[in-house]
Amino acid sequence: MNHQKLVSAGKLATKPELTGISSMAPDNEKKQADQPDSQTDLQLVRKVRNGDRAAFDLLVVKYQSRVASIISRYVYDSQEVMDLTQEAFIKAYRAIDRFRGDSAFYTWLYRIAVNTAKNHLESRSRRPQGSADSAEAENFDGGRRLRDVASPERLLQRDQLQKELSNAIANLPEELRSAFLLREYDGLSYEDIARILECPIGTVRSRIFRARDAVDKHLGPLLNHSVT
Amino acid sequence: MDDRLRETLSAMMDDEADELSVRRLLSHENQADVCAQWQRWQGVHDLMHRGHSPAEVIDVSAAVREELDGRARSQAPEVSGYRELRRPWQWPAAVAMVATALLVGFGAGTGWDSGAASPADAMASNSVTAKPVNEKLDKVAPVQEVALHGLDEKQWEHMSRYLLEHAQHNSVGAGQGSVGYARLVSASGGY
Repeated sequence: MNHQKLVSAGKLATKPELTGISSMAPDNEKKQADQPDSQTDLQLVRKVRNGDRAAFDLLVVKYQSRVASIISRYVYDSQEVMDLTQEAFIKAYRAIDRFRGDSAFYTWLYRIAVNTAKNHLESRSRRPQGSADSAEAENFDGGRRLRDVASPERLLQRDQLQKELSNAIANLPEELRSAFLLREYDGLSYEDIARILECPIGTVRSRIFRARDAVDKHLGPLLNHSVT
Repeated sequence: MDDRLRETLSAMMDDEADELSVRRLLSHENQADVCAQWQRWQGVHDLMHRGHSPAEVIDVSAAVREELDGRARSQAPEVSGYRELRRPWQWPAAVAMVATALLVGFGAGTGWDSGAASPADAMASNSVTAKPVNEKLDKVAPVQEVALHGLDEKQWEHMSRYLLEHAQHNSVGAGQGSVGYARLVSASGGY
């Protein structure tokens, strides 16, 4: 099939129209992989409310880079960004009973992050240096500012990682690569991928897991450097 | 962490994990493994979609965990305390209820006369006499303490049976009906 050939070419097409796959699932509404309205988030929030701290750890790991990026629009000192990011998550934990699920968890968290940064600036009698509206939350590309201050070493490392990532994906068996790319770059649901690849949903789930695992192993130690 | 759990974690990345699987994953004994795996996959995800390398990502998860652990130790947590607080509360309450039941039920069963003799003396005596219910309740009301020493074989058997029935009753009602049971015992004047 044409779409399978496009996917299996191993190119990291970031736009659905380049793969031609989204048109195969017109009722999918072009669901993006990063969509903030997350079932997993709601599941984890329910667990946190029931006293499950491990669930909150997963939410922190998932959103910490985005929250840090939001805060870095207001505060430019990296240590302050870290402190305020931490503070925002603690506030979120303490207020989680007040999250009603009317909006996505990330939108709610975004507001907390913005308020934390603004309060910090007000407490230092400074005017906010940036601005962010909660309506921006879902479209906010949080990484821009952090990327802009990356050192040359970091830029080099990023390029190396991008290359390794491309290699890792290109080296995947075709059946794994197809499922993985349909999910990651086209944001299709497992059900849609199963329909396109003509296999059971359980197979899709398994293939995506194995692809993810293979990429993780390929990148290996390169992923183990993080700023703490 | 076995492959089944890792597959669940992968499905969580894609919002495709069911509730039961998530519960199973979160009850895994080594949550550090779960979190580390999740972090690596989130790192790959960020690299693919936002161009972040993991080296550029701020990691506050350990600091947040420590901060919340510190708070949890120093004060009752606002969110997570509900479950943990229930059980510690139940044991003292159950003990208190058993003591109350012993006080009232056993005293009534053995026919204490608190006005005339000490509870220990009353328990030592073997006089289990049938008296009107109201009269008995009036008389056992001022009892301050119970001494369980000096019971004869029959009284021990009597108390053991009572405790067994009390425990059975309590297990059915999760502790909520034990006071009512004690009153029932005292009102009936024994077994």
